[in-house]
Amino acid sequence: MLDLFREIGQTLSNNKLRTVLTGIAVAWGILMLIILVSISRGVYNSFESNTAGSSAQATINIYSGTTTKAFDGFKEGRFVRLHTRDIPHIVDSNPEMVSAVHTTISVDSAKVENIHDYTTNGLYGVFPGSLDLERCRIVAGRSINTLDNSERRRSIMLEKRNAELLFASADSAIGQTVKSLGLAWTVIGVFEHDWSRNNYVPFNTLMRLAKGGDGYVWQLTVVAPGMTDEHSGRKLEEKLRSDLAALHHFAPDDNGAVWIYNRFTNYLSNKKGLGYLDIAIWVIGVLTMLSGIVGVSNIMFVSVRERTHEIGIRRAIGAKPRSIMLQVVSESVAITTLFGYIGVVLGMLLTQIAAGLIADTPASQGIKDPTVDIGIAIKVTIVLIIAGAIAGLAPAIKATKVKPVEALRDE
Amino acid sequence: MIITLNDVNKTYPGAVPLHVLKGINLEIDRGELVAIMGASGSGKSTLLNILGILDNYDTGTYTLNGTLIRDLSENRAAELRNKLIGFVFQSFNLIGYKNAVENVALPLYYQGVGRRQRNRLAMEQLERMGLADRAHHLPGELSGGQKQRVAIARSLITNPALILADEPTGALDSRTSKEVMQVFRDLNAEGMTIVIVTHDPGVAAQCKRVIRISDGLIVPDNTITAAGSTTVTTPDNA
Repeated sequence: MLDLFREIGQTLSNNKLRTVLTGIAVAWGILMLIILVSISRGVYNSFESNTAGSSAQATINIYSGTTTKAFDGFKEGRFVRLHTRDIPHIVDSNPEMVSAVHTTISVDSAKVENIHDYTTNGLYGVFPGSLDLERCRIVAGRSINTLDNSERRRSIMLEKRNAELLFASADSAIGQTVKSLGLAWTVIGVFEHDWSRNNYVPFNTLMRLAKGGDGYVWQLTVVAPGMTDEHSGRKLEEKLRSDLAALHHFAPDDNGAVWIYNRFTNYLSNKKGLGYLDIAIWVIGVLTMLSGIVGVSNIMFVSVRERTHEIGIRRAIGAKPRSIMLQVVSESVAITTLFGYIGVVLGMLLTQIAAGLIADTPASQGIKDPTVDIGIAIKVTIVLIIAGAIAGLAPAIKATKVKPVEALRDE
Repeated sequence: MIITLNDVNKTYPGAVPLHVLKGINLEIDRGELVAIMGASGSGKSTLLNILGILDNYDTGTYTLNGTLIRDLSENRAAELRNKLIGFVFQSFNLIGYKNAVENVALPLYYQGVGRRQRNRLAMEQLERMGLADRAHHLPGELSGGQKQRVAIARSLITNPALILADEPTGALDSRTSKEVMQVFRDLNAEGMTIVIVTHDPGVAAQCKRVIRISDGLIVPDNTITAAGSTTVTTPDNA
């Protein structure tokens, strides 16, 4: 084996320029493959992080719509207004699937102030547990709980930047009192959020203040851990539509009356789509590599042709056809693997640099951590060895056709 | 007998089939130093190819060192060439990017002999040829005579039953030719069987026996005593 490597090393270094030129084509192809795969990884990573947390995925959002069919004495074109009264109905009629229904109310113009400073980022009334869905990270204190909501406490969670404005630091804000909507609120927690600066208060508290108790809402968020696959997700959507149809007197098959957005099934189909993207990337990458491989094959043909006399000599002094074949295939595999790895290393380096550059920029929303892992490296190795062997096969077969009599022919 | 050819025929197929060997009968004994002479087109090269198991023949029999050479697979032929025959070529046929030791050792590579062992044996052969100090030179750095001696070392390394030389002095000047012929004569004196294909009467004169081939047939022998001390066999029209 070691001898074979020596033989390969000798013949390859005997033709350095040609070997390098051929190798560049392979390295380039692999570089492209690595870059494509890492972009695909980046898109996937960003998708995973944007849809983080299984609780966020097992939800269905329902929005108010307009009827498109006449039904139950009502004409079409009627605006369907979702109401807080819908919430217990939905929970009660789907006990197995639905654990909770949330909604929100916002008072965007509300000032939040203490004696020194104020912010104008508004109040946002939420249910306990909604904060997980909104992807908030608690940095101090606690989150809004069931008691806050049911007793309509005037508890408030400040967004971190607001807390720092009002109280210098997140920790010192806890337990302090702020004023908003003319009332005093107790700061119970501080959270971080990627883009929003709203301050959170219990839904029932704000609803009572803004609309005097029950009232219309724009949107309902159904938390449905009972959804396990695409089928159960679709089924629940239909059930919710028919429940609301009964409550709001619209045709159960009227798709415009309420808009239903199933984050769970959407997540599933996005994930499936990303799977196809991954396959497509590999196909494109491998096809790009193919041009490099054709180059290797081509150069091996030239090499065999050029070395006909040498192969003849080797045959005359006792080389069997299969050792000639093995040598040509091994040379091909050696070129592909060697330069392929140069491409892999280069590609990994480039993608690491790119990942570092975009890490804290808006671009990372779309492509997060676009790097490849060891699993990809192993896959690429296998691809390289197979590709090299295929590239070398035809030239190798041609090489075995060289007759030992060639040794006697003068060059 | 190391070589026995019995009514060997060879025809090259084609639009006009070419009957090159028309029933060759030939015996060469162990320890002989034989020259095969013939004009170009006489079938000399074809005979060399058949003797060297580089080519097949159509009818007749060829026995080399007790083995019938007939319808061999490529693998078996390669094996027999490797073990039984040492080749020496007109253009040396050394591999340009391998140094002298590596070139000499190459036949052993195809026997699966380890590198260290191979190089040790190769060094021995180079020493025998007086080229130990050139062992790590590439063929391009050697003179013609040195190259041919490296080639002879290579032909000897597998300890073959027969050395088959094709115009071994064809690319050498007269003085170097003499040196190389002396190497062959010395080897022959040690008991090696050597067959030299040549068109150079000077080379043939240094062999113990000359076989002439003409138009695909061996010209009948006629043993005479040459001016030298040894018995030389030449055709009667020489």
